[in-house]
Amino acid sequence: MIDNITKTAQQDIANTLNFKELDDVRITYLGKKGKLTALLKSLGDIAKEDRPKFGEKVNKVKLELERLIAIRKDEFELIELKKTLIKDKVDVTLPGRNVEKGGLHPITKTINNIEKIFIKSGFQIAIGPEIEDDFHNFSALNIPKHHPARAMHDTFYFDAKMVLRTHTSPVQIRTLEKQKPPVRIISPGKVYRCDSDITHTPMFHQIEGLIVDKEISFAQLKGLLIDFLRAYFEIEDLKVRFRPSYFPFTEPSAEADIECVMCNGSGCRVCKNTGWLEVLGCGSVHPNVLSSVNIDTEEFSGVAFGMGIERLAMLKYKVNDIRLFFENDIRFLEQF
Amino acid sequence: MKISSKWLREWVNPKVSDKKLAEKLTMSGIEVEGIHSISANLEHIVVGQIVSFNKHPNADRLNVCEIDIADGQNLQIICGATNVSLNMKVAVAKIGAKLSNNIKIKKSKIRDVYSSGMLCSEEELGISELNEGIIEIDCDANLGDNIAKYLDLDDKVFELDITPNRGDCFSILGIAREIAAIYDLKVDILKYYNKTKIKNDIPIKVFNSRACPKYLTRIIKNIDNKVKTPKWIVARLTKSAQKTHSAVVDIINYVLLEMGQPMHAFDMEKINGGINVRMASSGEKIELLNAQKITLREDTLVIADDKNPIAIAGIIGGEESSTQIESRDILIESAFFEQKSISGIARSYGLNTESSIRFERGVDFNLTHQALERATELILDICGGEATEIAEFIDIQTLPKLEPIKITLDKISKVIGFKLDKEWIEEKIILLGFDIINKNDQFFSVAVPSFRFDIKLDVDIIEELLRLYGYDLIPNKNLNIDASLQSVSQSHLSNLELSQPLINKGYQEVITYSFISSKYSDIFNSKYKNITIINPISQDMSIMRASLFPGLLQTIELNQRRGNINSRFFEIGLCFNGTNIEQQVYKIAGAITGKRHSNNWANDAEDVDFFDIKADVESLLSLSSDDFVFEPYENSDLQFGQSAKIIKDGNKIGHLGLLSPIIAKKLSLEKVFLFEILLAEISNCNISSYNNFSLFQSSRRDISLVIKKDIAFSNIISCIKNLKQKYLIDVFIFDVYETDNIADDKKSIALGLKYQSDKETLKDEEINKNVNQIVTHLRKEFYAELR
Repeated sequence: MIDNITKTAQQDIANTLNFKELDDVRITYLGKKGKLTALLKSLGDIAKEDRPKFGEKVNKVKLELERLIAIRKDEFELIELKKTLIKDKVDVTLPGRNVEKGGLHPITKTINNIEKIFIKSGFQIAIGPEIEDDFHNFSALNIPKHHPARAMHDTFYFDAKMVLRTHTSPVQIRTLEKQKPPVRIISPGKVYRCDSDITHTPMFHQIEGLIVDKEISFAQLKGLLIDFLRAYFEIEDLKVRFRPSYFPFTEPSAEADIECVMCNGSGCRVCKNTGWLEVLGCGSVHPNVLSSVNIDTEEFSGVAFGMGIERLAMLKYKVNDIRLFFENDIRFLEQF
Repeated sequence: MKISSKWLREWVNPKVSDKKLAEKLTMSGIEVEGIHSISANLEHIVVGQIVSFNKHPNADRLNVCEIDIADGQNLQIICGATNVSLNMKVAVAKIGAKLSNNIKIKKSKIRDVYSSGMLCSEEELGISELNEGIIEIDCDANLGDNIAKYLDLDDKVFELDITPNRGDCFSILGIAREIAAIYDLKVDILKYYNKTKIKNDIPIKVFNSRACPKYLTRIIKNIDNKVKTPKWIVARLTKSAQKTHSAVVDIINYVLLEMGQPMHAFDMEKINGGINVRMASSGEKIELLNAQKITLREDTLVIADDKNPIAIAGIIGGEESSTQIESRDILIESAFFEQKSISGIARSYGLNTESSIRFERGVDFNLTHQALERATELILDICGGEATEIAEFIDIQTLPKLEPIKITLDKISKVIGFKLDKEWIEEKIILLGFDIINKNDQFFSVAVPSFRFDIKLDVDIIEELLRLYGYDLIPNKNLNIDASLQSVSQSHLSNLELSQPLINKGYQEVITYSFISSKYSDIFNSKYKNITIINPISQDMSIMRASLFPGLLQTIELNQRRGNINSRFFEIGLCFNGTNIEQQVYKIAGAITGKRHSNNWANDAEDVDFFDIKADVESLLSLSSDDFVFEPYENSDLQFGQSAKIIKDGNKIGHLGLLSPIIAKKLSLEKVFLFEILLAEISNCNISSYNNFSLFQSSRRDISLVIKKDIAFSNIISCIKNLKQKYLIDVFIFDVYETDNIADDKKSIALGLKYQSDKETLKDEEINKNVNQIVTHLRKEFYAELR
């Protein structure tokens, strides 16, 4: 009898199609007037010694049926959920809502990148004014009035004394006026020359570097800059060559060329078929420069370097016209 | 400077190719910018002879020439050169030849007359830049031969970029000395000496011997300046890109290139009395050789006769006293002018001459005699005549002093970072022309040669050694470890950090020129003093910006013109209120225009408005730990009623709003919203300290009020905050509306009030008491009524 009920109940549960039918089955068997409840009520009709066993058996069946109903209910819930999910489906290939495409200017990116490299070697960042006086832009840097080197700097003037700085080197002087050695700085910023054609804009950016310490040598400067250029261009074995050059504020002075990154040194339009690209100027700080800021040249020496940021950015991002940087066409800027 | 390889190799001849030599020069500090080949494509170009020439019937300036090229049949060629003459041997480009300027020779008709070829100039052959007239070939050349045989073609021209410190390298002699030092060779300078006994009786008076410590003259009488300059001189001058003039001038220019000593020749007939080397009197006038007429200043050293200036010392001669083809007696000047007296003078008159380039950088003062003798020798050889003795003024006191320089081995190692061999150093110092006066194990004391004006300190000699050693051989060393860590401040916001909220909101950074046109400055900087560049590139770039707005608007304008309509731009840069340091301040500014979002399926294309840019500014300001307040702002740049100033500690630190419609119209722009803030005022960021937050439930009460339209939200907030209610933790506005149900001059606002205690859950009575206080207060202050 009880086994029969179990069997039919299992069958009935499995046959249900929705919550309602399932609930009806529950009531049929487990409700107040349900079949199983009725069995429990009939306990009195059973021999006394058989009662505990019988009761135990009925309870077991009740638990089993409750379990089966719960499982069936979960199944219905899953089906319902699936229905909702199908209804909630979206086209995931549609673009996201209001995609904002802001970004930094490629020159700022280049400066940030260069700063990161030098900061790791203990450099600090210094900045200076863009309208400079003659002393900081020229005289203190060992470029006295009428020095032929002044002709190399096509200077914008405001009056006899104030100019738009022609290089970031005045920051060397401003730093050393404030800070006692050891000094290890880089200084990025805008500089200005009275020059405008396909390869020159009257405003451009440089980054200056300066180390003043008790012992700092030309060999260390060379090692540092080779490391820097390889880090910046992300070419581990980039070929770099140093040539003697002349800057009034360094002695000895050098210019560094890298193997042309456009043609890998085989010769092209960018490197004028030389296979080399000039990328920076550097040298040991001229004693006159250190003296101009009252630094004892017997105790301290210095090295300095400077490079054009547009040049470095153009080579890295393969930009072929410097004027694009200041035109600010969004279609150019968005590419970086 | 351009020089011929063959000429150079007559002086010093290392057994290496021109390419190797150029590389070596570049790597030791004399940059060879290019090696130019003389040989051109000379196919179909042959020797011909002009057998007859007649004026072109239809063109005055052209000649119809008959040319014999030993081909059996003469060619008829039309030529425009002025130097055609009978029997002259010339370079004939036949039909099919291709000239250096890419002109292909074809049979052609020039004004109805046939021409079957072309007579060539040096430029057309590609052998020099000389294009004045056609080239004349040696008279013993065989007609019909290829022209290559008769041109000096197996030569190369080095183009050198000489740095301003190396005045001594502006000559064959100077470069030869460099090469000798590099390759361990010797340069022999031939000594010339004229044994004349003829007196030179022109008096020399030097009034400023500091500027002119040495002045020599020599008169050469009875010359024939009509002779043609020998071809070998012409060839070398043209390879160095020098124009040719008369024989005397060509010779003087030749010696200039050869030895680096600028000299000048005067026509004796034009000199009134003697030679006076003096400062110009203010207002004196002179017509120069280049036909420029200038008024002299008192800082200018001149050569004058007893009446007038006849030359600007060390820079350029005067037209009046210059030698001509007819000149018979000439006076040659060879002098040493001190650098500082010449520097800057040429440039101040807009001049830049072969002479000034050299004197500005320093000319060897021991060369004055030798160069004059060399020029004499050549003039006598070529033009004939008789030379007088050299008349000289020399002031030993004012000649440059060659102080010996002491250099220690220790210093060398310290500067370069590695050790150089002592014997090697000694050898190289001598090769460079220095004399070792004294030495021991630790140091050298050296005398600097008279041609090296750039060597003053021990480091100058170190550079000499290093460049001969070879920069590429310098070991690459590491920096010493800097053991002290640098502090990294969290309380200062970097530009990168400040850019981030704007970038996230879709702003693109721009970099615009710091100088703007007067058009923009008139519109925007009217309140500011214009900082004007004296020598701008153009009027469009002549005024330093006081605000970043002009650059941003120019950027928008350019982008709109190119069809990029929706824009969000920002810039960080210096703005200028003056030329002092403290008048140069960094600002951050932004501009937005067009649609709020690019066309997107998810939303309507709405125009940006004030609250878009305000939200962006608020995001930016939220990085700083300071408090900022927005207040209505009246400013002619921005539209009244849609602009605000940003206040910090009672001071205005920036503003934002809609570009004034008047300005927008002038610039042909639609609605543009702008902001600009002083960068330093928003970069403070105090290091946070943690505050406990309450764990008890908070309660919110909403009130809806009707108030007058012109009462600003900020006034209501500050009015509520003034009550200093203990448990009020937040006040916010969640609705503003104007409807037909209320009076025209009123608006309805809905405020949310949030109460919380950190000790208990607040009781309703407590909260209601607080809310009622606010309502009463607002009623009193603003006649606000509960809705």
